[in-house]
Amino acid sequence: MIKIEKRNDVSPSIYFLTPILAIFLTLFGGGIIFYVLGFNPLEALKFFFITPISDLYGFSELLVKATPLCLIAIGLSFCFKSNNWNIGAEGQLIFGGIVGGGVALLFYGHDGFYVLPIIILSGAIGGMIFAMIPAVLKTYLNTNEILVSLMLVYVAKLLLDYLVVGPWSNPEGFNFPETRQFSESARMPILFDGLRIHAGIFITLITVFLSWLILYKTYLGFQIKVSGLSLKTAKYAGYKGKAMIIIVFMISGACAGLAGVGEITGPIGQLHRNISPDYGFTAIIVAFLGRLNPLGIIFASLIVALTYLGAETAQIFLQVPKYTGQVFQGMILFFLLGSDYLLFFKIKFLGLKKNEL
Amino acid sequence: MNTKLKVSEISKIYPGCVANDEISLEFGSGKIYALLGENGAGKSTLVKILSGVVRPDKGEVFLNDKSIKLNSPLDAKKNNIGMVFQHFNLFETLSVFENLSIDSDKKNEDLRLSVNNILKKYNFKIDLDIPVLNLSAGQKQKVEIIRCLIRNPKVLIMDEPTSVLTEQETEDLFVSLKQFSDEGILIIYITHKLKEVLSLCDEVAVMRKGKVVSVSKTKEEKIETLANKMVGENLSTIKKKINNFKYSEEILKISNLNFRSDDPYETNLINLNFSLKKGECLGIAGISGNGQSELFQILSGEIITDYTSIKFRDKEISKLNPRERREYLMAFSPEDRISQAAVPELKIYENVALNNFKSSNFFEKGLVNEQKIKEHSKKILSNFSVNTDNVEMKSQFLSGGNLQKLIIGRELITSPELLVCFNPTWGLDVGAINYIHETLININEKGKSSILISTDNDELLKLSDRICVIYKGKLSKIMYVNEVTPEKLGILMGGGSID
Repeated sequence: MIKIEKRNDVSPSIYFLTPILAIFLTLFGGGIIFYVLGFNPLEALKFFFITPISDLYGFSELLVKATPLCLIAIGLSFCFKSNNWNIGAEGQLIFGGIVGGGVALLFYGHDGFYVLPIIILSGAIGGMIFAMIPAVLKTYLNTNEILVSLMLVYVAKLLLDYLVVGPWSNPEGFNFPETRQFSESARMPILFDGLRIHAGIFITLITVFLSWLILYKTYLGFQIKVSGLSLKTAKYAGYKGKAMIIIVFMISGACAGLAGVGEITGPIGQLHRNISPDYGFTAIIVAFLGRLNPLGIIFASLIVALTYLGAETAQIFLQVPKYTGQVFQGMILFFLLGSDYLLFFKIKFLGLKKNEL
Repeated sequence: MNTKLKVSEISKIYPGCVANDEISLEFGSGKIYALLGENGAGKSTLVKILSGVVRPDKGEVFLNDKSIKLNSPLDAKKNNIGMVFQHFNLFETLSVFENLSIDSDKKNEDLRLSVNNILKKYNFKIDLDIPVLNLSAGQKQKVEIIRCLIRNPKVLIMDEPTSVLTEQETEDLFVSLKQFSDEGILIIYITHKLKEVLSLCDEVAVMRKGKVVSVSKTKEEKIETLANKMVGENLSTIKKKINNFKYSEEILKISNLNFRSDDPYETNLINLNFSLKKGECLGIAGISGNGQSELFQILSGEIITDYTSIKFRDKEISKLNPRERREYLMAFSPEDRISQAAVPELKIYENVALNNFKSSNFFEKGLVNEQKIKEHSKKILSNFSVNTDNVEMKSQFLSGGNLQKLIIGRELITSPELLVCFNPTWGLDVGAINYIHETLININEKGKSSILISTDNDELLKLSDRICVIYKGKLSKIMYVNEVTPEKLGILMGGGSID
């Protein structure tokens, strides 16, 4: 007979160590998969996790990928900490990209230091407004934010499709589904010549610091924490529950919108159909792998970003599809949830007594 | 039919707590046995062992000198041990008969026949074909008892059966239990109410901290002797001075308060009117589920009704949320300690910060002032004798009594003019109850007012200056405590009238 019991006391150090355990289990699981596919597991893992960052360019690429992941995940942590399940960050990212991209096109040919800040700001506002839709529907009509935010992802995707194929498509672009390349004034400054790492990383780092400040040092952060643990207590303490739902969604949406605008003004430089390789969804894994903790999220975003890079290297050197990256992301989540389960519950194997047979 | 039940050297150890320590007891049919003890004394664990819910680490149970194995509730049923839990295990939306047929292996016609026989024999009046949610608490309990009787039990265990009953229903229950006992069913009655032990039971075993400390005939015991055995120390009994509030100033006035809920599990409140004077304690009695929770939330500001008219110290406060009401010097202690008044996962000082005034400066310019909160928390811990001084400790490690002291302390340390509390001693041990009672009397003596919503009549009679009863969302007339008797309360709580 198997019995599952809740553990009463989970030590904080183990709580932050299990994500690392999950990563090692993922490596192990990945090794087995490569072995079954007929590769030398150690060599394959080396191609996947070490080759991509063994030179400066690779390391810069790692940061390019981690920048949006970290930014979105930190925004999501506001929602998740207060029991609001925003899983539509991908849509908020795309919508932020659409608004920011629209403004960038509007300023096409303009020069001036003010152009980029206006684009960035409008991208953040775009994501924020898009995130407010599920929040307002939740507070006033009691809809389920999981469904609404998820469905809005497809609305944003289709809107982007329509815009880049139709009204916004490049007049000189031979009907390719993409806009013009933004002018130089609308692009994120590149930090080092020859590398793609751009100024968006500073936006991410500043946001992480501000988030840490808000979550751990302010009244708003305290209210978010209490609401996440017990809505009844939040009500009893007199916190304005509805306002808070809207605020956390706004923060989360603004972060996703910033990530979107960072992508199109940074590495991409225009709008097209695939401005995000599912960063908005992958960031959910980053947020939980980082334990919704700002510092944790920075580390988690680097590791998950590595799975994107590794997949590309593996595609070139091992001829496996780049979706292997998603397999690894899936394994990380799987092992994290699995080890969390064992962290919070213990399984007892009770021997069968004779009289039970 | 003679039944002998014997437990021998039963031990059950939970991490950090010995729930049962070498317990040996003997019971014989024809008598009603009381198992008396505070919360946490180990009664429930012993009873769970007897009903197969929990397995002991050590020890044996003998039924008629034969060792029996109780590995599951099914084993208990097979051995004719029946159990009525404090919380009913009934499906509210199913009919009485459907509830009874769920765990019966009899054919429906046979079952109906035997249930009807039981109803006739014990003079129970229950319609078998109405949904359980339409029954009173007393009737629901009878359904649970019938469920046991169908199986011809040799042993019937009742776990704190009167906690949800009115006085009248309690008397009816006692009549039935004596009848069962006369028919040879061995009855074990678990309680912490001393009066019930004396009026119902033949023998009493007192448990304290997992051990049996005394077994005696109830004839030889008095309330005081039992209380001392139960607590293990001599208790001082506190008495409240009778006050005359004729000339005192009015502090709270509720006029024409109505509340309509869309939720079928909530109770509507109908036209409530009352007022409260300075230094007075108004007790609101009633069986739980008659609108107490809704009334508490309206007083605290968790529910805002458009029709409410609440005047506190001559100011209209109906539209204010709980935090804003606190600024006017109101304080609230809800019924649910663990998921409403405090959050177990939070540290003590964080739970203290839930009650936040502008003047307390816990959050200056939106930033958390940990230093200030911690100092304030230390003060609460020492002033209200919470048994720790570590404000960084998670609240889940406090016992129920200490957590309630922390909550009451948090609410009272700012010396509010009015404290509204809802079942403040629910589930606490006698020591903690005494402390809370003293504290509540103390604030009245200092000229502060309180509203005590409680389902414990002894507590209400001890602490209130005036008492009224809430029944189906309506308030009875308000009476001075010296004109109230438990019988009167019981009639009003059951929906009767006393004029």
